[in-house]
Amino acid sequence: MNGLRVVFAKEMIDNLRDRRTLLSSFSVSILGPIFFVGLMVFVMERALGESDSAAKFAVVGAEYAPQLMQYLEQQNTEITTVQADDPRELVTRGEHELVLVINPDYAERYQQGNMNTLILVHDSSELSSGRRNLSQLRSYINRYGRTVGQLRLWLRGLDPSLSAPITTQELDVASPAARALTILASLPYFMVLVIFMGGFYLAIDTTAGEREHGSLEPLLIQPITRAHLVLGKVAATSVFGLLSLMVFLISLYLAVPFVPFERVGMALEISIGQLTQILLLSVPLIVFAAALLTVVASFAKSYKEAQTYLTIVILVPTLPLILAQLMSLETSLKIMAVPSLSQATLMSDIIKGDGFEWTLVLVSMLTTVAYASALAWLAVVLYRRERILG
Amino acid sequence: MIEVDGLVKHYGPVEAVRGISFEAADGKITALLGPNGAGKSTTLRILSTVAAPDQGRACIAHIDVLEDPMSVRRQIGVLPHNSGLYQRLTGVENIRYFGRLQNLAPQHLETRIDQLVDQLDMHDFCHRRTAGYSQGQKVKVALARALVHDPQHIMLDEPTNGLDVMATRALRDIILGLKQAGKCVLFSSHIMQEVDALCDNVVVIGAGEVKFDGAIGALRDHAGTQDLEDAFVQMAGLGAAS
Repeated sequence: MNGLRVVFAKEMIDNLRDRRTLLSSFSVSILGPIFFVGLMVFVMERALGESDSAAKFAVVGAEYAPQLMQYLEQQNTEITTVQADDPRELVTRGEHELVLVINPDYAERYQQGNMNTLILVHDSSELSSGRRNLSQLRSYINRYGRTVGQLRLWLRGLDPSLSAPITTQELDVASPAARALTILASLPYFMVLVIFMGGFYLAIDTTAGEREHGSLEPLLIQPITRAHLVLGKVAATSVFGLLSLMVFLISLYLAVPFVPFERVGMALEISIGQLTQILLLSVPLIVFAAALLTVVASFAKSYKEAQTYLTIVILVPTLPLILAQLMSLETSLKIMAVPSLSQATLMSDIIKGDGFEWTLVLVSMLTTVAYASALAWLAVVLYRRERILG
Repeated sequence: MIEVDGLVKHYGPVEAVRGISFEAADGKITALLGPNGAGKSTTLRILSTVAAPDQGRACIAHIDVLEDPMSVRRQIGVLPHNSGLYQRLTGVENIRYFGRLQNLAPQHLETRIDQLVDQLDMHDFCHRRTAGYSQGQKVKVALARALVHDPQHIMLDEPTNGLDVMATRALRDIILGLKQAGKCVLFSSHIMQEVDALCDNVVVIGAGEVKFDGAIGALRDHAGTQDLEDAFVQMAGLGAAS
């Protein structure tokens, strides 16, 4: 055991002095939650804004259609009246996002009961709020047009519903809260990723890096069993994974209060208790990640090769998560046997405040520990071979 | 005491070592002399327990390297051909790491490190990280690391590679000091002058076989030339190729 402790202590000190390791291990952990909260705030503000903001547009030739203008002013609109020879320029020059053009012969045609065409000038390559303004204005005009049409039918003694055999009505159930929840659902994915990122460079430095620097051979000549040597390295990698997740959770804890949940009628509070549960639940996955990264990095002949391999490995734990989303899996006993998926599922249950079932947690932890042990054993076997020297 | 008897080692189809036998006595400096690729490094790897021979036996202090590698590892100190230091650790931390792996008691370890720092004259740089070290400084730290547990057997794999004249001289003195302390020193090299200046016995290896085993003087007589380089070329079987 002494050897294991010595190797562990050395790898910790060595890697805490490495700026590259620290950057890769902790940058995602610190910035992840901040980015996450920023995204939530953005989405919520947008969702809130859409429901009550006025349609903004400019009108050319407002004087030709006073009735229509009066109707539009009564709606939720913000109208600017402008004079322009070429209304298109108003949009291309960016002065207005949306311009309604009314022709001078509007009143005359209206009187005669002819069709009038109004022109809506906009730029569909522009994202932003222009598109929403457009659809809002279009629906106001359509409604006005329909009303006028119905009146004309009435006057001729016809039933207005004759001209409208089918109508539609939209009902958008996506509340701001629901949108926020979609983002919240990606949180477990981030946590799993952070665990793997935490041990990424350590796994390389302690294996392929050691070989590349020529320090592996003298190390193997020391009187320490290969098992202690490898487990010391896996332990150091695990601790970095654990630290990385802890930093992520702390950062999350500090960032979440900045999300205006109360404005969308949601109460989401992430307590220290929940975070501790997530941390404990993740310990087997952290060891699993460290062992997996170590095994794969041991196959690489150089630092660069190991980087390439591990970048692919980091994608592996995300696959079950994506599959689960596609198949919309429910928390079940079967899922608990899949490392990363089981933790992600339980994490999201904990975040939602649903609590968790002890049996499921136990199954998740035990199966993941079993996989982690098998991988650690494989790493030891690899280091017992002569070929590890390359 | 290092004893090697009939070592054979293949790497795939390549026969790196084909039946090498020799002995290296305590209190003597023995050279393994041979051109690149002759099998010197493979032999040293087998002796340092990180490679297993396909045939033959290698013993250190009468312990078979295959039977009890752990005991052998406590008996040997190895200077690898590239120093293999940890760049983010200081010189002293590098030495201390190996001392701990050798399971030395902390107090004893610190005394031993101070002693080595004195002996190898490392005061100026041993508390700096090794990233910026010169070649000579690296070799000194690597040597101190190999000697930290005061092993009876010391194996040096081409130790003077990349060293300047002064560093080579300093290293030579250190190696002679080890001999006077009664250590068994095994020294691999492809440089004749190096071997001539230091060694008591020389084992010439060529193409995986022992071509000569005896005193330096005897090597000259055997080859029938006073020029050591000629003797070496002739012994290692390089004459035909060149």
